[in-house]
Amino acid sequence: MNIPVGIEVVDSTLFSSVDPVVLAGSMCEACGAHVFPAMDSCPTCSSLDVTKVSLPTEGTVWSWTTQHFAPKPPFRTDEFAPFSIGYVDLGPVIVEGWLVGKTEWTIGEQVSLVLAKAWTHEGAPVFTFGFEAVT
Amino acid sequence: MSVNANDIFIVGAARTEFGRFDGEDNELAETAVRGALADCGLVWSDIEFAVGGTNGETKPDNLVSRLGLTGLPFVTVKNGCATGAVALMTARNGLIAEDLNVACVVGYDNHARGAFNVSPARYGLGDWYGATGMMVTTSYFALKIARYLHEHGISQRTLGYASAKAFDYAQEHPYAWRRKPVSVDEAMDADMINDPLTRFMFCAPDAGAVSLVLARGSKAYDLCETPIRLASVALRGRRPGSFEVFSPWLSPGDRTSPSIDAAKAAFDLAGMTPADVQVAQLQDTDSGAEVIHLGETGLLAHGEQEAAYRNGEFEIDGRLPLNTDGGLLANGEPVGASGLRQVHEIVRQLQGRADGKQVPGAPRIGFTHVYGAPGISACTVLISEGAQ
Ligand SMILES: [Zn+2]
Repeated sequence: MNIPVGIEVVDSTLFSSVDPVVLAGSMCEACGAHVFPAMDSCPTCSSLDVTKVSLPTEGTVWSWTTQHFAPKPPFRTDEFAPFSIGYVDLGPVIVEGWLVGKTEWTIGEQVSLVLAKAWTHEGAPVFTFGFEAVT
Repeated sequence: MSVNANDIFIVGAARTEFGRFDGEDNELAETAVRGALADCGLVWSDIEFAVGGTNGETKPDNLVSRLGLTGLPFVTVKNGCATGAVALMTARNGLIAEDLNVACVVGYDNHARGAFNVSPARYGLGDWYGATGMMVTTSYFALKIARYLHEHGISQRTLGYASAKAFDYAQEHPYAWRRKPVSVDEAMDADMINDPLTRFMFCAPDAGAVSLVLARGSKAYDLCETPIRLASVALRGRRPGSFEVFSPWLSPGDRTSPSIDAAKAAFDLAGMTPADVQVAQLQDTDSGAEVIHLGETGLLAHGEQEAAYRNGEFEIDGRLPLNTDGGLLANGEPVGASGLRQVHEIVRQLQGRADGKQVPGAPRIGFTHVYGAPGISACTVLISEGAQ
């Protein structure tokens, strides 16, 4: 994957592109199951014939919660504030990730993929993926 | 009444009080074993086969150094929340396969304060998953129940009913950990941990031990006036479509669950249906889990939960007394002991000698269900055949 200079991410294997941001999953050639992050075998049918694919970047909130207390390490943050986590239905797969920009959500709400700052490392932001409401 | 030679019965049962414990894990386990032996008038040297389970660091098979070096085979099991059920299953199989008559099972744990700390690598996940705050069990429970409430049109207040019921049972149970009553409003208004679940809607890890003595065939009636038959025990793992803890992705489409599969297997093996159950134990790691598991085990249709709580169906004189010792919410979760706690409570209820509130009308058929990471469930059907 090509990471543009100056953008640091929590784990480069999660992305097929960082700018614009696109998540990398894998698809089973035998049964069609999609998973995220990419795996080299299929947990549905155990086939080894899997291909890396870019996942859709738009979806709907499938479920959500807001984390009101700071998780224990290995959670990392500059300063804790309550944040939302959700499962987002992208069509071929439902992906878990941050829901950014607010802390109250509605199941079925439209969201799209963004980069979100996870923490600061040696003065530079480190990004993870998240979903924000489509306005 | 005739007794099948390979029928397995529970003839002795004992548990410790659950909560915080400062001593050694093995002390807890020993207390439970000696209690179960005394309950059926046996001594350790009478035991022919033993199974011990814990998710801690101690070795259950080393309990013989406290109980007696009788040379018996002692098997150790470690299957997370299903540890108790797997211990029971192993003991049953041991008695039948080895042509033995009396076995002892024990489950115990003594966990440190606070939520379980888990490493992403243990679950085959990258460091990013923990670092970004997703390796959190409470958020999993919240995400799962939020979706379930949405799909089945159940109100959030139903979660408050579940909590209030648990603490109501616990206040009269001498071995429960949290015995202070909590009203539905108090449960709803408490600090939010993970929407929609508040502080009073989660169980916490703690300490405790439970032991059972099993006997095969007619031997059971020599040892106990009212032995309880282990009619079935079934363990199942997850299939595609289940929604488990620490899942960075889910498959779309119909949901499956190891609880659905384990419950169905247990009922089928016992020749029973959910409608036959007169007293039940369900895994209530959080209030939402109890609501979900009522549906998944078939005890209730999905969506019927809210009305059932409101109508008092799960209370001691209701249609289906549920988690009559306060469940995990009030007992906490010493993982290795939790499943056997459920069996202990059902045995006592079916024998008419409940430690807390007694189900009226001499119930005959009980059911237990555990569920946990990484997507496993175990269920039992327990039947009182009455005195012989
Ligand atoms: Zn496949």
